[in-house]
Amino acid sequence: MSVHFVAEVEEIPEGHRKIVQVGKRSIGIFNIRGEYYALLNYCPHYGAELCKGIVSGTTMESKVYEYIYGKDQEIIRCPWHGWEFDIKTGCSLFDEKVRAKRYEVIVQEGRIGLVLGASSSEAKGEQ
Amino acid sequence: MAKQGIDIIDCDVHISLRGGHDLLPYMPDAMKRRLLESGTGALYSGYYSPVGVPRKDAAPPGGGPAASDPDFLVEQLIDQHQIDYALLTGTMYDVSSGHDADYAAAIVSAYNDYVLDHWIGKHPSFKGTVAVSTIDPQLAAREIDRLGQHPDMVAVIMSSAARMPFGQRFYHPIYEAAERQGLPVMIHPGTEGAGSTNGPTAAGYPSYYLEWHTCLSQTFMAHLVSLVCEGVFEKYPKLKFVLVEGGVAWLPHLMWRLDKNYKALRSQVPWLKKMPSQYIREHCYLTTQPIEEPDRPGDLITLFNMIDAENMLLFSSDYPHWDFDDPHAILRTMPADMKRKIYYENAKQLFKL
Ligand code: FES
Repeated sequence: MSVHFVAEVEEIPEGHRKIVQVGKRSIGIFNIRGEYYALLNYCPHYGAELCKGIVSGTTMESKVYEYIYGKDQEIIRCPWHGWEFDIKTGCSLFDEKVRAKRYEVIVQEGRIGLVLGASSSEAKGEQ
Repeated sequence: MAKQGIDIIDCDVHISLRGGHDLLPYMPDAMKRRLLESGTGALYSGYYSPVGVPRKDAAPPGGGPAASDPDFLVEQLIDQHQIDYALLTGTMYDVSSGHDADYAAAIVSAYNDYVLDHWIGKHPSFKGTVAVSTIDPQLAAREIDRLGQHPDMVAVIMSSAARMPFGQRFYHPIYEAAERQGLPVMIHPGTEGAGSTNGPTAAGYPSYYLEWHTCLSQTFMAHLVSLVCEGVFEKYPKLKFVLVEGGVAWLPHLMWRLDKNYKALRSQVPWLKKMPSQYIREHCYLTTQPIEEPDRPGDLITLFNMIDAENMLLFSSDYPHWDFDDPHAILRTMPADMKRKIYYENAKQLFKL
């Protein structure tokens, strides 16, 4: 396990993202209301650059004919076929077993670091 | 009467034939039989079948139309094919294609009473279905509540030809009543494209009965997708739905396609809590007739296996119609277990027989 510092906090304001390259891996870092989350920039469906999709909220589980908006800023929609993923967990919204790989993010002295390697959180985010 | 001294042209005088036969001498030979059998224009669905609709051997010896005589039906269908129970689904599908909701409701009520008087109880195999018109779902619900507790009425039956897809909230009173009475809802073709119903294919109105009949599956596919997406099975979790005579082999296609689309588009239907195909598996049944006949009969079984169809299919013969399926002649390559479910167990459970 190792920490790779890849950005300054000012580079990713709330509601924004930055896609960084670490070795062979392309990884998207998202700022959701001051917290940082990272996903592998690779969709588990057909491999699109997932982190380039639109970030928004979505409709939450509801009664028939009822729409409840929620998870604002927490959803990334794949730019190819539109699958929705929860940025915080990497899980798709239709089946939590289908998920994008996620990485732990740490912030130290104004710098954003990705925890890579065989950490428990990375393993959890694996498909 | 004195002539008024003006010239008159009447621009609209409706003379009439004495009957359709008047045209016979003027018709090309190829068309004569059709004129004799079906008259001069569109009747019923408007599609003329050159083989007729009833089987030619099904006319009761005592007279009357095919399947109008309980004794002969027992002899020709029940006894000859060793059938344990027969769901009497009737012929009242055109009531939903009219325009007058109260008249249609009066007709189906009368029809249901006739069936109770003249059929139910005449033979232990006979089980009735509550016919309703879909023009006014409130009136349909009233009829379902009127007869739903009768011990021999085991389902609701209505036409698959409709003014809008069956998932839409307009129809929900029917499902609420059916669920309340513990009856599955069955839909059956017949009047696609007739009267106030939608066109019989998604491309519009084809020319021939051959096309019309082949494309009936389209209507069923649209209804099924609508039922799932509009959350009918979330709103009425005990409701069961039976698609009668709409084909079977399209089911894998539809389930796979719907699930695939749902993965991207679920935010439009956030009330769905499972994969769409799962609702179909848990709530819907399809009857077998007219069973598809691939060049290699085993292919059909392979297809059933792909989607666990053995738990969703119910045998049906469509007696006395031209495309009747003999239970002992079709689906011969089917494994015994699957056969038992499709021919008996699934229906026994569903209709509480
Ligand atoms: S590649 Fe992402 S949804 Fe298909």
